[in-house]
Amino acid sequence: MKCARLWYKKSGMAIYTSHLDMNRCFSKAVTRADIPLWYTEGFNPHPYMTFLAPLALGQSAKREPIDIKLEDDEITFDRVKSRLNAVLPEGLEIVDVTEGRMKPGEIAKAKYKIRCFFICEADAVSFRKNALNVLNSGEMFAEKRSKRGVKTVNLCPMVSKCVITAVDSLAVVEAVLSAGNNENLNPQLFIETLAQYSESEFDDIDIIRQSLLTESGELFE
Amino acid sequence: MFPKELKKHLLKVQKPGRYTGGELNSVVKDKSKIDIRYAFCFPDTYEIGMSHLGMKILYSLINSREDSWCERVFAPDTDMEKILRDNGIPLYALESGDAVKDFDAIGFTMQYELSYTNVLNMLDLAGLPVRASERKELTPVVMVGGTCVCNSEPMADFVDIVLPGDGEEVTNEVIDLLKQFKKENKSKQEFLTAASQIPGVYVPSLYDIGYNADGTVKSITALCGAPQKVVKRNVADLDKMFAPESFVVPFIETVFDRTTVELFRGCIRGCRFCQAGFLSRPLREKSPEEAERQCRAICDSTGYDEISLCSLSTSDYRGLEKLLNNMLTWTEERKINIALPSLRVDNFPQELMKRLTSVRRSGLTFAPEAGTQRMRDVINKNITEREILETSARAFAGGWNAVKLYFMIGLPTETDEDIKGIADLAQAVVDEFYKNPNKPKGKGAQVNISLASLVPKPFTPFQWEAQDTPDVLIEKQKYLISCVKSGKISVSRHVPWTSFLEGVFARGDRRLCAVIEKAWRNGCHFDSWEEHLKKETWLAAFEECGIDPFFYTARKRSFDEILPWDMMDYGVTKAFLISENKKAHNGETTPSCREKCSGCGAARLNGGVCNEMRKTVV
Repeated sequence: MKCARLWYKKSGMAIYTSHLDMNRCFSKAVTRADIPLWYTEGFNPHPYMTFLAPLALGQSAKREPIDIKLEDDEITFDRVKSRLNAVLPEGLEIVDVTEGRMKPGEIAKAKYKIRCFFICEADAVSFRKNALNVLNSGEMFAEKRSKRGVKTVNLCPMVSKCVITAVDSLAVVEAVLSAGNNENLNPQLFIETLAQYSESEFDDIDIIRQSLLTESGELFE
Repeated sequence: MFPKELKKHLLKVQKPGRYTGGELNSVVKDKSKIDIRYAFCFPDTYEIGMSHLGMKILYSLINSREDSWCERVFAPDTDMEKILRDNGIPLYALESGDAVKDFDAIGFTMQYELSYTNVLNMLDLAGLPVRASERKELTPVVMVGGTCVCNSEPMADFVDIVLPGDGEEVTNEVIDLLKQFKKENKSKQEFLTAASQIPGVYVPSLYDIGYNADGTVKSITALCGAPQKVVKRNVADLDKMFAPESFVVPFIETVFDRTTVELFRGCIRGCRFCQAGFLSRPLREKSPEEAERQCRAICDSTGYDEISLCSLSTSDYRGLEKLLNNMLTWTEERKINIALPSLRVDNFPQELMKRLTSVRRSGLTFAPEAGTQRMRDVINKNITEREILETSARAFAGGWNAVKLYFMIGLPTETDEDIKGIADLAQAVVDEFYKNPNKPKGKGAQVNISLASLVPKPFTPFQWEAQDTPDVLIEKQKYLISCVKSGKISVSRHVPWTSFLEGVFARGDRRLCAVIEKAWRNGCHFDSWEEHLKKETWLAAFEECGIDPFFYTARKRSFDEILPWDMMDYGVTKAFLISENKKAHNGETTPSCREKCSGCGAARLNGGVCNEMRKTVV
């Protein structure tokens, strides 16, 4: 048995696939690709496959990790990649297969690029100005749902970095937010709260997860 | 793909994956090279429609033509419908995102009567008039197929063409004709008249219906040379029939998250309430070799880990053991589960059963349908109490502890004793569990009674029978529940009002079109979803149209009454159905086709030879 970390890209129509459905989707792809996965030995055997950092519905991603266990020690990572890419639906692509260098628990942050489309340039500019003031104030409260119920929390401590640029009616927010099992900030909640505090209303947004980072800001590998 | 203007709304709806398209194996073609664009519409949500085999077959069939492009359309759920309407976005097809109103052909599959309002709603969402007479252009042509079209009269004013029977061959013939007439710039009327000459095509607008003073049908007159009787289409050889080798694999979970291969069409059993059994006669089997080849191809192209071998009564498939033995050689290794719905476990080899359940174990279900032997004889359900108990005992010994039993109430000649018999039979199954010395530890028996109500359907021996009113059914349900004495038995019931509406439309006539339109305009759709069924709105619609719905359900018809669906010929003769009806009232059973041919008449669809007769002779 050999462990492998698949890195996939999610875009296009595939971004509307939920975390649970992604699991189903990849199980089928692995079967089609005829990749010998190790199966769990329970009542309802299924291929061992773990998505390390669940992605929210509607968000694209450049490089997301899945851990798998291969039954066959001989198969090369290149083969796994090319076989999977031959059968994956449009919008899902394996960009890399590696040996997982870090433990899944080391994921602590994620870098996002959020594009906010406004009706006019003035809206984008005022959003940028107000948003930076809000972030500097260090206080931005939102209701956050967790297993223990709904709680009002300050989102600012979960924002490690945030750069905003405005061009025409578009504002681009590049932010590093908490991610992982200990503390997680959904970029959707972040941007909606930020817009609300900035008294701005965008017409549409695009959220792309660029990369996953460790606590010290190192790239998760 | 979806229209651009929809993007910003997509995350506001439940399960946006229903509306995006772009799934694996979905077919995208170059529009500029296409003559006929076909929108295959399923009048229910994505999860239900994507589980339907007929759609998968026709989707692949039409897309195998170079000149045509078939796309999928489903009924948007209420949240999405609101967004489409509020933003003026017309109903679109999933592959291209193009508006359905611009297609050449729109095909609806009508699997259940309570989806009729959804058909109207989808036409309206597309921006088309719901009435066929108000759609003046040649295209889009609206056609319908599926089980319900054996009596499409309640939808006659809304659809252009009806395709009874197997769709595999006739769909191509209609597309060919439409392509030609579109090229020649012919009118819709010219097309419909020509289409009515294709065998198995029913054009409702070419039939004039006369009524008697008492509301029954007086006459059915075919116009413009349309045939007096439309004979359903029948694919004679299932091995040579088109069968898809790849299915669209949804991103999201659907009702059946598995793939399906058909083993045969038709049924040898002749249960007297079962419409599918009579509509799909004569029996035609696929060879086990071809069935296995298709299973393998579909598993390879989809990656599903479960395959369902489907038919009306799987254990009657003569090649079953051979097929399973061959399939298990690769499905076990690939951890693919084989699901056998409608399997009679009584004569099924134990060894095979063990191997089948080695991957995953599914539930155990029986359909005794009635509680007493007398009642089962009336409906010709040839399963005995002894068989049910023996099989349950065997299943319990094999580690099962839950059994589901399907029953029906509202059957002709039913008495309180027959209803009590349902509870007694369930109790006997529970007792069987506790007799077993090796019963699983720590688990009690669980017997679930699923209770449906009989809806007499066209082309069954019960097509003349009165249907119990909702009030009577509610009383019968209450009585049954009072007969259940054990906590190990649970009862799930159908909503009688749902069965009532289903009954009205199943045996209705054209005058119901006005009611359907009115109810839909007043907000009825998704009627098959309990939470959406608006009983009061429906009753008001009947009232406003001056139609008594009980005329269609509560009335026993005489054998010589002209039935609204008498222009349809599904092979089985009326004389046979009458004799079956009489036998039912006498409590006499009819042997299966395999034991003895009863001369139902369907053999003539296969050139006079029934598969059953031929194979027993050879």
